[in-house]
Amino acid sequence: MSVFLQHLINGLAQGTIYALVALGYTMVYGVLKLINFAHGDVMMVGAYLGYATAFQLAPAARSGSMGLLVILVVAAAGCALLGLLIERFAYRPLRDKPRLTSLITAIGISFALSYGFQLDFGFFPGAAPRAFPEIIELTPWFEFGGVILWNSQVLSFGIAILLMLGLQWLVFRTRTGRAMRAVSHDHRIAGLLGIPTDRIIGLTFAIGSALAAVAGILYAIKDISITPLMGLYVGLKAFVAAVIGGIGNVPGAVLGGLMLGLVEEFVVGYTASSWRDAVAFGFLIVVLLFKPEGLFGKNAAEKV
Amino acid sequence: MSTPLLEAENVGICFGGLQALKGFNLSVKKGDLQGLIGPNGAGKTTAFNIITGVYSPTEGQVRVGGQEVTGRATWEINRMGLARTFQNIRLFKSLTALDNVKVACLNEEQPLFSRERAAAARAQGRRLTAHTMDAFANYADWWRALMRTRGFQADELRLTERAESLLEVMGLSHRRDELADSLPYGEQRRLEVARALGTSPKVLLLDEPAAGMNTREKADLMSLIRNIRDRFELGILLIEHDMKLVMGICEQITVLDHGQTIATGTPSAVRQAPEVIKAYLGSGELALDPVDAPQEAPRPEGAA
Amino acid sequence: MTPDASLSALPTRAGLSAWVPFLVILPILGGLELLTRGSPFLVYISLMVGVNVILAVSLNIVNGMTGQFSLGHAGFMAVGAYAAAKFSMAMDPWKIIGVAVAPSDQIIFLFSLLIGGAAAGLCGFLVGLPSLRLRGDYLAVVTLGFGEIIRVVAQNSDALGRALGLSGIPQRTTIFTVGFFVFLVILVAKRLADSPHGRSLVAIREDEVAASAMGINTTAYKVRAFVIASFFAGVAGGLFSHFQSVINPMTFNWVRSMEIVVMVVAGGLGSTTGSVVAAVSLTLLPEGLRTLFNSLNLNAGRIDQVRMPIYGLLLVVLMLVRPQGLFGTREAWDMWRKRKPTPAATEEGA
Repeated sequence: MSVFLQHLINGLAQGTIYALVALGYTMVYGVLKLINFAHGDVMMVGAYLGYATAFQLAPAARSGSMGLLVILVVAAAGCALLGLLIERFAYRPLRDKPRLTSLITAIGISFALSYGFQLDFGFFPGAAPRAFPEIIELTPWFEFGGVILWNSQVLSFGIAILLMLGLQWLVFRTRTGRAMRAVSHDHRIAGLLGIPTDRIIGLTFAIGSALAAVAGILYAIKDISITPLMGLYVGLKAFVAAVIGGIGNVPGAVLGGLMLGLVEEFVVGYTASSWRDAVAFGFLIVVLLFKPEGLFGKNAAEKV
Repeated sequence: MSTPLLEAENVGICFGGLQALKGFNLSVKKGDLQGLIGPNGAGKTTAFNIITGVYSPTEGQVRVGGQEVTGRATWEINRMGLARTFQNIRLFKSLTALDNVKVACLNEEQPLFSRERAAAARAQGRRLTAHTMDAFANYADWWRALMRTRGFQADELRLTERAESLLEVMGLSHRRDELADSLPYGEQRRLEVARALGTSPKVLLLDEPAAGMNTREKADLMSLIRNIRDRFELGILLIEHDMKLVMGICEQITVLDHGQTIATGTPSAVRQAPEVIKAYLGSGELALDPVDAPQEAPRPEGAA
Repeated sequence: MTPDASLSALPTRAGLSAWVPFLVILPILGGLELLTRGSPFLVYISLMVGVNVILAVSLNIVNGMTGQFSLGHAGFMAVGAYAAAKFSMAMDPWKIIGVAVAPSDQIIFLFSLLIGGAAAGLCGFLVGLPSLRLRGDYLAVVTLGFGEIIRVVAQNSDALGRALGLSGIPQRTTIFTVGFFVFLVILVAKRLADSPHGRSLVAIREDEVAASAMGINTTAYKVRAFVIASFFAGVAGGLFSHFQSVINPMTFNWVRSMEIVVMVVAGGLGSTTGSVVAAVSLTLLPEGLRTLFNSLNLNAGRIDQVRMPIYGLLLVVLMLVRPQGLFGTREAWDMWRKRKPTPAATEEGA
């Protein structure tokens, strides 16, 4: 039982990270109908930005919770800027071209980021994994019968829930959110109605990228080591989570992320960790075969 | 020819809460030329989509050649003798006019199982046999194509000749090698008809074949349609907005409004039905004089 | 309309002409084999180029001609590589009686390639049947997922050597065999494109709903295209494993699939010529850069680092500047054919 509970906690902790990244996928897909393949790599950049900031703040010791806040803000801001740049130069010129071209561009950006960061000259960090600094002291926050809830896990739940509630408020309670939803419905018509489409789409990218940066740092705190390729697989799985939840659907992305985290944790926990990469895709395929629009997605039939 | 080629019985469909079509009945026999009219959003194209298997009806039955086809795939229904055109032209844009028709021209002679045998099996309801025959015939055919056998080359030649003759019927011979995309609008519509004829249908469904044409072109097209019906011994069902035209050419008309069938019968009967007048104008009289040919007497059954 | 003169001439030279390409290519390949005997580096490069050409041209049948975006080609390559390698290793002690050792090995090798191709084709069928009902982005992700699952299965299988993979695979791949399959896949792609089936595949790419309404069983056609592509990916995998002699699962992860996609896209989706040109140049590019770096006394090890980021940026720039790829959907043989005026064209000109 305690093993089960421990898996449950770990699965949820992993799931919140997937959920945060999945939100970015789902938001971008919502407004542009584009799989932003580079999103996972934005998360990776966020983790590296956090790494660099942590060393600037306190090269030898822990930065503490105030430091963590600074790190999160710097990384989020940096990634938001990166997201804006990617959107401006790689996707916007192709917005009215066939969607496949943007998908390919996204793959290209993803490659350039993840493999670019592996270069070992200039300011690039190189291919070797780096140990992420211990920003806060890792202590069990709660312990009962062998089940441990770490303070880092509490932290990541807390931050994630806060951000998700914030996003929910933004999308459904503000003018900007209404504009976003209008753009996601049809960005051309939204433009005709006087909504600044470019700005809204840019904002969506910025918010999604900032969330990814936070997720990247939470992931790094949990996993300790960071590598330039971490974004490829985490990103892919987060995307799977978004699709499982019904891509374009904000609460669906969160639920999909949590489900994926749990399924992965349980399967790996009861078999072997080498199956980890297959679990997400197996889950995805099963879901898509039975419910092609995702668990909580709308069925959009093609108009004939 | 007592059994109708195409029958719809009490067909209805719901999209979400919207009843887009309800209690729709139709029966097309060989040599028929029927019209389906109604204001925008009346459910005409929806009816077409249900008949051709793009949508599955939520109630009722569609029968082609006496066989129930509800729930079958579009391609299978086409093989049973039903071809259509599309309201928003859907040609294969990057193929030439000739190739567009050739795609549709079924290869009649096959080394293993002829289309006729598969069609016969399908007509008897032995679908698995039909699918298997198709699959084997297809694989054999691929092999012949890859080996460039003599039979393949002869078939290819025959296909080309057939497609050319269809282009000629539709007056498109001069566009043979031009890309479908580059054709003028009216010719694209005619090419759609030629392509539909390539599948050797028994019933042809035309979705607004004259849309966007001027009066003169429309009149030409309508006499062409009548020609086609006689030459290929078809039953034709057409959707058209221009009441004058429909009245002038069709022998039987069904009028839809808000998914309901509000009138059905000969043009003169339909013209006088109060519901029709109400649906179209709210009140007043309609100037619905036949535009070209005089009203034809009802045709004896089976005459071509 | 008068019947096209060039077309009516076709059936008379049909039967034999189908085999002419083989008669031409076989001696050429044999000659190449002999000429490159003394230079192992050249042979190695040619084999790499050949394998990539097979992969790109076969993927183009699915992604380009049929318009179904598959991102799992490396998975099928893995199936072929492992299946062929296992078969060869099992057959290694055996020789065909009455045949000299070298030819006997080659014959067995041919069988292992076919087995690799068939295994991959079967996987393609099993994967394609459910997933090809999905469209666009979803299909891309599901094929990517299947490719990854294939890799993870290999990683967890004792028989396939787990993460270490297989080693000691007999080195059998020659310029001749690679060249032959390169030739074969191009021939298949070209003849397919010029047949009713190829036209149906293009029709599916252009408009799936309309294709279906014209009686094309779209799912069946897509699955068949997928099976053919997977077969050749499997053969390429077999060829690859029999000159690397060592394979491991990470060789076939989705990054490898992406590399093949890059080649197809760069060449122009739908153009076999483009796939060939892009595969050749993108394989040679790192080698050329390596030579350049060496001659400039720079660290040539950087090439492998720089290669992937450059691929990525290349894709972005290409999409921005020339989204249709180098060749669009055109083919070298079409350009040649177009020079001969057809009767229809002259009629219109008059």
